[in-house]
Amino acid sequence: MDELTKVENLLKDTFAAHEHVAPDGDQVLADARERIQRRRAVLSRPLAVAAGVIVLTLAAVTVVVLNRPADGTQAAAPTGQAPPTTSASSGPAIPELHMPYSLDWLPPGDIDYLVHRINLGGTAEHPDTPIYGGEYMFNVTNKGQVLYVDVQHFGMSTVDDAAFKSGPGNPVTIKGLRGVESSISDGPGGYELYLTHPGGGTMYVNVSAKNGTTAPAQLLVDTGRRIGEHIRFPGNTSVTPLFGLGELPNGLKVCAFDLEKGGFDAPSASGTRHASTGYQLGTCTTQPTINVFTADSRDVGGTAGQPVLGHETRYVDENGYHKLFVLDAVNGQSIMIAGSVPVADLYDIGGRLILPN
Amino acid sequence: MADYENFVQAELPRLLRYATMLTGEREQAADLVQDVLVKVYRRWSRISDADHPDRYVVRMVTNGYLSWRRSRAARVFATGDLPDEARPGDFATDHALREDMWQRLARLPRRQRAVVVLRYYEQAPDAEIADLLGCAQGTVRAHAHRALATLRDGLTIEQMAEAKES
Repeated sequence: MDELTKVENLLKDTFAAHEHVAPDGDQVLADARERIQRRRAVLSRPLAVAAGVIVLTLAAVTVVVLNRPADGTQAAAPTGQAPPTTSASSGPAIPELHMPYSLDWLPPGDIDYLVHRINLGGTAEHPDTPIYGGEYMFNVTNKGQVLYVDVQHFGMSTVDDAAFKSGPGNPVTIKGLRGVESSISDGPGGYELYLTHPGGGTMYVNVSAKNGTTAPAQLLVDTGRRIGEHIRFPGNTSVTPLFGLGELPNGLKVCAFDLEKGGFDAPSASGTRHASTGYQLGTCTTQPTINVFTADSRDVGGTAGQPVLGHETRYVDENGYHKLFVLDAVNGQSIMIAGSVPVADLYDIGGRLILPN
Repeated sequence: MADYENFVQAELPRLLRYATMLTGEREQAADLVQDVLVKVYRRWSRISDADHPDRYVVRMVTNGYLSWRRSRAARVFATGDLPDEARPGDFATDHALREDMWQRLARLPRRQRAVVVLRYYEQAPDAEIADLLGCAQGTVRAHAHRALATLRDGLTIEQMAEAKES
């Protein structure tokens, strides 16, 4: 038996030996039922009031939608409409990416952003409604206290869909908008708020103490509510990716982007966490067809291909799913362009990468 | 909603075991599955019409795990540092070897762990894993390769053989 087989067998044994760790099904089912019942109770009480709010909200939505730029416009920069600022020596600048909303109030302290991302594309069922319209994730450090903050726009869900990790939800109204909130300072979830978004869907705000620590419940509540009060659509927040894209061919658009500062998964073998940038390209009315993102060095492989922008490439064909790696493109990292499209399309996009000088 | 109740009663044990293998922790597995059950309840009319509602729900658990909030994900990794080098004395029994492997699993990135669990616990073929994770089969193989390399690091055939023979 070779070493690999032994490890595989050990894995199977390990899983089997830990089946007893699985939680009690009756308890989980009871808790789920309780959450379902709680939600019904919470939502039925303010029904009459809510109905009035919905009418007003819909009226507001109509006005807002008619007067604001479309989501696609708000985040259009990556498709090549970004300022073509160039200089004779440095080439085109990497276009900044525009978040669809801004956080006009941030908690005091040092802010460490971990994630900025948006998704303009929806599902096959609702192609015009983004699955999530934007997300900020950051840490705030103030006098030794570290808070985790996550703010997301869920375009396809309503306040009625709220599901909490922190316990039963309570109705709340913030700046005239209906919401549901829940808080627990010393357990999972921290403070959570779902707030109706005038443009459709809900905003989700989650504030919790750093893992393994606690924070005063009121601090979490005050921070979360205040962030929720100061979300501004459309926003004017821009973020700088590691690399950009020029004008895209064949009607392709950027359907989603994702900038992360090292992620939360286990660090690489060297112990470092790399920042990453990713784009999903397509028509944004169906599933994106092409991914372009900084690649983990352990993913890079394949046969040598044609150079792209002076960089060596590697090419892989996985049963029609093509990957083109542009080596050493961003701070020593490679960029992977991949999709079930002709490889010539990948090279075409590769030629439109805007790399740091 | 009788169908929902019947479905949940039938699938719950499997979902809980699967979630436990993914998260490595009873409490997190319970939270994860509880979240999914609430969502399934709300979408039951649609899910029940699916060709394979069970697969749909497994996908929900998987997606829930992969998008797990970091504060929880971080707990998975708070299991202490791995030993720099495996020591024969630590592997006197199969039990110790499996516990060591359990800790090694906890250090894997979530997507790699999902692939390992689907492949070696759920016994799912790579094509099904790729479909479930929304990636190419080659990507599944790459995740599995990396995960196994990480899990094997520091283990030797002799140590595993010792454990098996003891």
